Amino acid sequence: MKKLKLKAAVSGFLFTAILMNSAWSAQEEKPGTGFAWKDGAEIYAKICAYCHEANVGPQIRNRELPAIYIRAIVRNGSRAMPAFRSSEIDDESLAKVADFISQKASQY
Amino acid sequence: MASKYIALPKGVSEKDFEAAVGHFRGILGDDAVLTSAEQLIPYTKTMMPVPDAEHTPSIALLATTVEQIQKIVAVCNQYKIPVWTISTGKNLGYGSAAPAERGQIVLDLKRMNRILEVDKDLAFALVEPGVTYQQLYDYIKEHKLGLWLSMPAPSAIAGPVGNTLDRGVGYTPYGEHFLFACGMEVVLANGEVLRTGMGSMPNSNTWQVFKWGYGPYLDGIFTQSNYGIVTKFGFWLMPEPPAFKPFVIQYEHEEDIVEIVETIRPLRISGVIPNAVVIAHALYEAPVKARRGDYVSGPGSIPDEAVYRIMKDHKLGIWNVYAALYGTQEQIDVNWKIVTQAFGQSGKAKILTEQEAANDPAFAYRTKLMRGEMTLTEFSLYNWRGGGGSMWFAPVSQARGSETLKQMALTKQILAKYGLDYSGEFIVGMRDMHHIVDVLYDKTDAEQTKAAYQCFDELLTEFSARGYGIYRVNTAFMDKVAETYGPVQRNIHRTLKKALDPNGILAPGKSGIR
Repeated sequence: MKKLKLKAAVSGFLFTAILMNSAWSAQEEKPGTGFAWKDGAEIYAKICAYCHEANVGPQIRNRELPAIYIRAIVRNGSRAMPAFRSSEIDDESLAKVADFISQKASQY
Repeated sequence: MASKYIALPKGVSEKDFEAAVGHFRGILGDDAVLTSAEQLIPYTKTMMPVPDAEHTPSIALLATTVEQIQKIVAVCNQYKIPVWTISTGKNLGYGSAAPAERGQIVLDLKRMNRILEVDKDLAFALVEPGVTYQQLYDYIKEHKLGLWLSMPAPSAIAGPVGNTLDRGVGYTPYGEHFLFACGMEVVLANGEVLRTGMGSMPNSNTWQVFKWGYGPYLDGIFTQSNYGIVTKFGFWLMPEPPAFKPFVIQYEHEEDIVEIVETIRPLRISGVIPNAVVIAHALYEAPVKARRGDYVSGPGSIPDEAVYRIMKDHKLGIWNVYAALYGTQEQIDVNWKIVTQAFGQSGKAKILTEQEAANDPAFAYRTKLMRGEMTLTEFSLYNWRGGGGSMWFAPVSQARGSETLKQMALTKQILAKYGLDYSGEFIVGMRDMHHIVDVLYDKTDAEQTKAAYQCFDELLTEFSARGYGIYRVNTAFMDKVAETYGPVQRNIHRTLKKALDPNGILAPGKSGIR
């Protein structure tokens, strides 16, 4: 291990050195089973509701707000509301939560 | 010819950048290389009083594995491209998800979001950078592990890796988060993967239970720094106590902060009160219950007279001390007696428990924070002035009453000079206090934005002149704060940077280090 580290340091930034010294990661970098949203209701409950059901942000549920408007606000933010990246809420999940919010009577 | 990119890294030609982007696409796939203005908007919005253009990234990369990060780092070295790493990207009031300097590429690790291990018996977790507190909270509940989190106020949408690496704090007995960190995996600028502490030893099973390992302790140099990219992070969790008793103690006068701190310090140091107590000013709590516009209009800071009206109308003290007792009922009973005796001596304190205050919205969200439950209610602060401007002014104070009063008075005086309000609190460590002030302003108002910038600059100048150091700051003021800690520390930081990252590719500018 020590020799490999030394070699990596000497070799600088070559890919070969990196690959030789990636023993730790190689063991564990199997296909990821990271987190994924279940549906729009879950995203609403675990992100939006903390402000929009708590008198922090305006009420947005059951106002039949256009889904396209909701998607734009989520990605752009609005004043103090943070913008949410596709890495946090992917496009498909964003469409689901926008649909959830824009329905006439979504249950929370 | 117009550039394909909304910004370019300083000193990198478009031709070279284009070649690097080609490599990134090969490593990550096209979908994980974000280049359009539309895709990059969420990486550009900040709450700071500087043009967003100063913090516009060139592109963002969504990596999910250590191996990808190693390859990205190699490309960055080859083309001398600066890379700003984020985890959950919710460093609100400190720079959000935007890079320190225009043109840096953002390495977004939000999708690297596996909970690798939570050990019920040893009460620790090992997670990747994209894991949020909400995700971990749900996991613990689902598996009935009986463990509590400590998290900052943006709880649900923030995460333990980013918060701890920036040395953030929470409100439980585990509130000084870096104290409870145990073991990191770090991709270094040369592509090597370091596991700190016991993690360096193959086959060790003590990585998340013994912090120090052998030889110099290295974890610290990967916090508030740019010496590596942390890809795994271990930390300790608090076993759920059998009983929990939150309470608030209210005082009527600003000068009472002296008595409060002198009373709390021995209780905190001895462990009678085990959690990171908060001493919140009325204006920190008021936004949960009141609207500024109902009490004051026009420019200028809110007058004391209006603050006293808010206190009266909304059952707030000028200082509101939130703390809790944890343990068995017997332990709590004993400690409660000590607490009430200590605070009861002067006759100034009004002590409220869940019995009297359970329905109070400020008490309710503070209670959640002190037991590690998700809430974003503190974001009410952003409604106080509106307009989305916020910077955290965060000097450290001794836990000594006379010092806290001096810091409060100086902060309030400087804020008032610029027409801004004192929305401050002290978070009590063992012997220190994090004096946390939300410098709130309307970012849609050019004059107020300019005033906020000047105000923050003056706060830093005046506090450092008196020997009061800032523990954490937004990306627009990192150099200024680094300078206040003197040339020797700055040189050491630079020396380490040169040794570990000779091409200066990792987050140049973080904590003023290049």
